[in-house]
Amino acid sequence: MKRSFWLVLVFIVALALPSVIGEFWVHVAIEILILGLFAVSFNMLFGYMGQLSFGHAAYFGVGAYATGLLLLKTPLPLPVCFFISMAAAGLAALVFGYFCVRLTGIYFAILTMAFGQLIYYIIFQWYAFTGGDNGLQGIVPPGWLLNVRHYYYFTLFIVIGALVVMWLISASPFGHTMRAIRDNAERTRFIGINVRRYMLINFVIAGMFAGLAGGLLGPFNRSIAPDLCNWQQSGIPVFMTVIGGPLAFFGPMVGAVIYTLLFALITGFTEYWPLTIGLVIILVVLYLPGGVLGLVQKKWIPLHSKKLTPGPNGGAGEEI
Amino acid sequence: MKFKQILVVGMLVVLSGWVGADSCPAAEPYHLGVDLAVTGTGALYCKDGVDAIRLAVDEINKAGGFLGKHPIKLFVRDSHTKPDVAVREAKDLILRDKVRCILGTYSSACAVAIKPVCKEYKVLHIAAISNSENITKTHFSPYTYQVVPNSYMQAKAVVLGVAELAKKKGWKNYITIASDYEWGRSTQKNTVALLRQLAPDLKLKKEFWPRLGETQFTSYITAIMAQKPDFVIGSIASKDNVAWMKQAKAYGFFDKIPYPGSLISVSELILQKKTLTRGLIGLCRAPFFAHMDIPMMANFVKHFKSRYHRYPSDWAVMEYDAVYALKQGIDKAGGIETEKVKDALKGATIDTTRGRLFFRKIDNQLSCSSYIGVVADDPRYPFPIYHDLVEVKGPDSWRPEAEIIAARSNEK
Amino acid sequence: MIFAQFMSGLSRGMMLFLIASGLSLIFGVMNILNFAHAALWLVGAYLCYTFWYLMPNAALGLWLSIFLAALSLAAVGWIIEAVLIRRVYDRELSEQLLLTYALVLIIDDLIKIVWGVEDKLIARPPLVAGPVFIFGAPLDSYFIFVICVGFGVAIGLWWFLKKTRYGHIVRAAVFSREMVSALGIPIPRIYTGVFALGIFIAGLAGAIQAPVGSITLGMDMAVIIQAFCVVVIGGFGSLLGTFVASLVVGEVYAFSILIWPEGALALIFIVTALVLIVRPWGLFGTPART
Repeated sequence: MKRSFWLVLVFIVALALPSVIGEFWVHVAIEILILGLFAVSFNMLFGYMGQLSFGHAAYFGVGAYATGLLLLKTPLPLPVCFFISMAAAGLAALVFGYFCVRLTGIYFAILTMAFGQLIYYIIFQWYAFTGGDNGLQGIVPPGWLLNVRHYYYFTLFIVIGALVVMWLISASPFGHTMRAIRDNAERTRFIGINVRRYMLINFVIAGMFAGLAGGLLGPFNRSIAPDLCNWQQSGIPVFMTVIGGPLAFFGPMVGAVIYTLLFALITGFTEYWPLTIGLVIILVVLYLPGGVLGLVQKKWIPLHSKKLTPGPNGGAGEEI
Repeated sequence: MKFKQILVVGMLVVLSGWVGADSCPAAEPYHLGVDLAVTGTGALYCKDGVDAIRLAVDEINKAGGFLGKHPIKLFVRDSHTKPDVAVREAKDLILRDKVRCILGTYSSACAVAIKPVCKEYKVLHIAAISNSENITKTHFSPYTYQVVPNSYMQAKAVVLGVAELAKKKGWKNYITIASDYEWGRSTQKNTVALLRQLAPDLKLKKEFWPRLGETQFTSYITAIMAQKPDFVIGSIASKDNVAWMKQAKAYGFFDKIPYPGSLISVSELILQKKTLTRGLIGLCRAPFFAHMDIPMMANFVKHFKSRYHRYPSDWAVMEYDAVYALKQGIDKAGGIETEKVKDALKGATIDTTRGRLFFRKIDNQLSCSSYIGVVADDPRYPFPIYHDLVEVKGPDSWRPEAEIIAARSNEK
Repeated sequence: MIFAQFMSGLSRGMMLFLIASGLSLIFGVMNILNFAHAALWLVGAYLCYTFWYLMPNAALGLWLSIFLAALSLAAVGWIIEAVLIRRVYDRELSEQLLLTYALVLIIDDLIKIVWGVEDKLIARPPLVAGPVFIFGAPLDSYFIFVICVGFGVAIGLWWFLKKTRYGHIVRAAVFSREMVSALGIPIPRIYTGVFALGIFIAGLAGAIQAPVGSITLGMDMAVIIQAFCVVVIGGFGSLLGTFVASLVVGEVYAFSILIWPEGALALIFIVTALVLIVRPWGLFGTPART
């Protein structure tokens, strides 16, 4: 009840936003939406499956390149490009995820990172197809989306649509199974669930939505570059999720708002952005486990079943 | 603990909730943006560039600003040498700081990424460090001007020199080593293609592609030395170049194998003053010592030196020229409106520290020279400079217009 | 030619080992994957430059600087462990990773504030400035020193862990923290010591890297990933594994550039992925630790 009230309020604010704020902030808002979608898709793995992926940017990048190449070389309409992007990113996630879901914890993190770097190097080296490190230029959206406010509404509705789908997935029996796997994979296996298959499906879903987020970026920036897929880029959704709160569905979105606004503001008057975000992360990790939404939930919403779960390391993590 | 948590949240809210309205632009001052890499790989070159821009801006402001009445307000942003960050910063400069012109960018990837943004918002873009010819060759933007000799011009200059040398010394084969990214690749490709035209007998034995950011070149050095080529052509820039030259020297590489025409900018001459092999034939883009006879250059070096206590690098020279190119465009247009300035600069002849040069109409490329010379000590400077300097003029080295038109014809 | 290539691969491998061994040690004992290892390595290189710069005329300036840099970095490691790392021992893996990743960002910016953006160059003493010829193959004489230090660190660590009382305690702590602390040995102090030792080796590696090329911002970013790969291939926490894997990666790189220059780096990731898929605990690790 209370939650839906907040959601409607946020929705109304999001609708009214472009007419209230200046054009630069509309750009920032679009970026928040795209990166927020990226972070929420990452959290399908992190928050719901309990595995930290350090190569999620690879699927974001595959999606971005798929849309970019399709827009440059074919006359396909943009929505069709998005679907193909999701399929391409999903396919990549299927191939690499097949191996990744066999591992957990630190091994999962490093294998996703190794595969991510592999995709990065392929894109970086394949000059004839991907343009190498120059990336792709001239990715122009169709005329009706050239206006940044139009692109904002376009992005807003696609992101909301994607969030609804992911929300439904997480609330479905499938989503509950994922949480069961996260909390105790062993026990889930004993009740006859093919854990690896479930994890793989989840990996592919996460990859597809990362691909969609990537697809939205190219026509927005008019260009893309291979930097989008490297491991440092993979750190961004991790930051956002941890700041916002991995155990709430909208946590990564809140993190995306904080992170992107901070970036836009801080870089306006200091070059020491890494230092700033580094300090923020340390403060959050030390004093705010569960992120901003985690604190909100703990403080203002009576605890239901939600609790901080033990990680693969076996640490409890709740008390500080 | 609760207090600390609330404190952290409070800080986040204060920091992020600070979305102010856009500041209202004053009619008079000229807002000038800089989108360079203050951090990351490009920091070394860009710091010089930014310092030179500040110098030029202060000089112009002392006379009241552009046209004597539009004082320049400078906005410097960090591209982190990442294209997506460069784009965001460019948008920030355009939309929030209301700049009319962006000087930039360190990497070519950043340059081609912000080009369409500048075009869309009708903001001038002057590239002064990054020099991929794709900045002006394909996806042409009338708002983008280039005041640095591009990768084709530099390759052509090297090839002219090398072909001469090869004939004289009877060289038969060579090896290339180039950093594996856009600049390294396009320079290597152009060099090989042009050498094939000018010296068809020369044989390319092997290509090596160390990654960008490589710190240890030993494996490449031993591999090249084992092949015993007649000469080696390198396209490695910035800090990679420093590491490569230093290690190659420790292997006795330069004593054995001629290494003509690699990029040794004034930055490297100064940085490696102790270790650089004398007698090496190097290439650079804008060495100040080549033009000390031009009053504008002499003044610039004097002022740069007294303000920053060091000599200006190529990058400083070119960014300085970029500001003055803009000034002369505004003078010619008689106003600061970007459309007028853009049209005034089209094909314009301007005075630079490197002499009187002009922008070519087809691609807005400045007719600037490339410089090749022999590294040698000089009593006038506390570091080696180039002797026997050959200046390959822009119009002698740039890509023929027909090829540019052909390259653009298959764009969508 | 094969020999020259082998030697350059060996020197590259030794450089990698020096970086990865500290990482592996810290992970093996404390179960913390230190993202900031390479950033600290870079600080070591900068410190070496500063000491060298301050002693322009000392005959042994460079060698003394390398040692001083490693020592002062160990002190920095000590402080970092006591102030930050100690707080997250019981936390989740992701939080530990994030904390050390945040440290990378902070350290890199601090380097910029302290040392500026200019590249730093160390002129080598004449003894190691030129080439030496072994069987007619040229070799940078400095790398003979690097190879010696690499072997020295490997043997030293082995001796420390296998032969000293302190080493025995450290190895016991790997298997059972409870048992060790039940014996009245303070675990936190051991962890601090191990962390400082790991960072000492990182500082040594950084300082030794310093005269090889130029010291620049951002050098650490590529290095950390390669070090991770080496530790994974060798097996988490296995020093022997890290040693072997470093040499293998170094040699593979040295020879692959002859055959497939463009793919040399991608190859490391392919090997890492293969090892993780087939044998996640690495070539020399033990499955029990997974």
